[in-house]
Amino acid sequence: MLKQFLRFMLLLGMTQSALADLPIDKPGRIETLPVPYPNDWVIVHDVAFDHMSVGRFMVLDINGGDIKDFFKGSFNGGFIAAFTQALGKPEMYVLEHYYDRGTRGNRTDVLTIYDRATLEPVDEIILDDPKLKRAEILVSKFVISLIDDERFLLFYSFTPGTFVTVIDLEKREVVNGVPLPTCAGIYPTGKRGFSSLCGNGSMVSFQLDEDGQVTERGKIEPFFDVDKDALFERPAIIGGTGYFPSFNGAVQEIDLSGAAARLGENWSLLNEEDKNRGWRPGGAWLAATDSTGRLYVMMHENGEEGSHDYPGSEIWVFDPDSKTRVQRIPLTLPAIAFDITMGDAPKIVTTNIEMSLEVYDALSGEHLNTIADFYHNWPLLVYASQ
Amino acid sequence: MNWLDNLTEKFSRNVAKTSSRRGFLCGLGGVIAGGSIMPLLPVARAADTEQPGPPTVDPGDPATCEYWRNCAIDGYLCSCCGGTINSCPPGTEMSTITWIGTCKNPGDGKDYIISYNDCCGKTSCGNCFCNRNEGDRPTYRPHTSNDYNWCLGTKSTAYHCTVNLILGVAIK
Repeated sequence: MLKQFLRFMLLLGMTQSALADLPIDKPGRIETLPVPYPNDWVIVHDVAFDHMSVGRFMVLDINGGDIKDFFKGSFNGGFIAAFTQALGKPEMYVLEHYYDRGTRGNRTDVLTIYDRATLEPVDEIILDDPKLKRAEILVSKFVISLIDDERFLLFYSFTPGTFVTVIDLEKREVVNGVPLPTCAGIYPTGKRGFSSLCGNGSMVSFQLDEDGQVTERGKIEPFFDVDKDALFERPAIIGGTGYFPSFNGAVQEIDLSGAAARLGENWSLLNEEDKNRGWRPGGAWLAATDSTGRLYVMMHENGEEGSHDYPGSEIWVFDPDSKTRVQRIPLTLPAIAFDITMGDAPKIVTTNIEMSLEVYDALSGEHLNTIADFYHNWPLLVYASQ
Repeated sequence: MNWLDNLTEKFSRNVAKTSSRRGFLCGLGGVIAGGSIMPLLPVARAADTEQPGPPTVDPGDPATCEYWRNCAIDGYLCSCCGGTINSCPPGTEMSTITWIGTCKNPGDGKDYIISYNDCCGKTSCGNCFCNRNEGDRPTYRPHTSNDYNWCLGTKSTAYHCTVNLILGVAIK
């Protein structure tokens, strides 16, 4: 035993003397990210429900095995921030506000513009019109939208007066506040416009000129009963058509390609057996599409009044042209939200009820990965990277 | 309480059947809050003996998600945060701009109009999360939508918890 120990110590001494020293590390080195992001990267909103003043957005690689592999960086978003990202330039936008003493004091509303590579704020637009304060809504991506080749950024204002605020991103300033008649949601429409769903079951549309002023208005008279079968305000938009699921399992198509929204077909996600088993759409984010144009809807069984936000146990896939279901994807754990990555190999990324992320092959439905270890964070909404 | 500490698989699967908005997250807290006080028996609260007229019946524990007035709530129950069913915790500010639900009192069979008022100005309470959505509708009909942060018109939009106030009996 003693002989073995001495031999080990001798070997250790020889090894140490034969190895070079590690290089001296230079301070101040900061990582940057590749632009564009790979298709398998997503941006996940940690809504920080237990400490809303300091939410954040996490850039994650869904192929990662553990946290050092999947966590690529983050940037902040105060008080249930809203987020959108540009396709044509490396900018990401966070609509947020802060108080100068944390949860109290003077309020500053701001649209913060982040660089996609450095995740640094590169510019900001102060939003100081009191009637245009943004709506704080936890689970909506359509409170903020880019239109006109990403020149204008629109956001939903709620005080509780309802407006859509128009920001010219070239001028970096607010150029208009379009009053809404008790409506919400901003669905890009036509060349330079948007549409919103309204509380009486109607839809309004607006077109803007190059200065962001309203030039045309349109309206679809009430076409659904909000009490009996409300449309979710969270559609999937495929080829210029919005596919709006309803609480009870219908889909209302709305053509958003023209100057004003036009009502399309209404069809059911359910067959008779599905109806008997009470299948319904639901979840925080429940509809999405992929690069092939299929419609994905998250579904739960035994639905009833009030179940529209229930986690989904399956994601159903539909061909929007034939309006038929082409696939059912059972989830390993019920999910509360999902999105689908871009590219030829689309992947479904869900937020499950344990606040972990699950990754599935969108075409085969195969479960591929679980991303966990978010501890007490709330990784709620998933955004496929653009 | 760190909700993750309490998150067993069985619990999570129950959530799948019982959760919905400001979170879906909300359902998590609701089950936590409700799990410890079953069964819920109708209990006639002592009506104010100074008042004339028949007694009132208000069954259940307001600190549980199952309590009848919570039928359209989405947030933390102020009863678990230093407040009560109809009063905010110390140091917060009650929003007067609210969303409305209609809930049936199982004690007297009447439908009541409930105003859900957020208590604001401090960071989230974190106790007794409850998310129920009976009558909840999307954000395009704001007055029946619990998806908004209703800390509006208050000095701060920091959301802390929610109380529910009876506005009256619904007229059918």
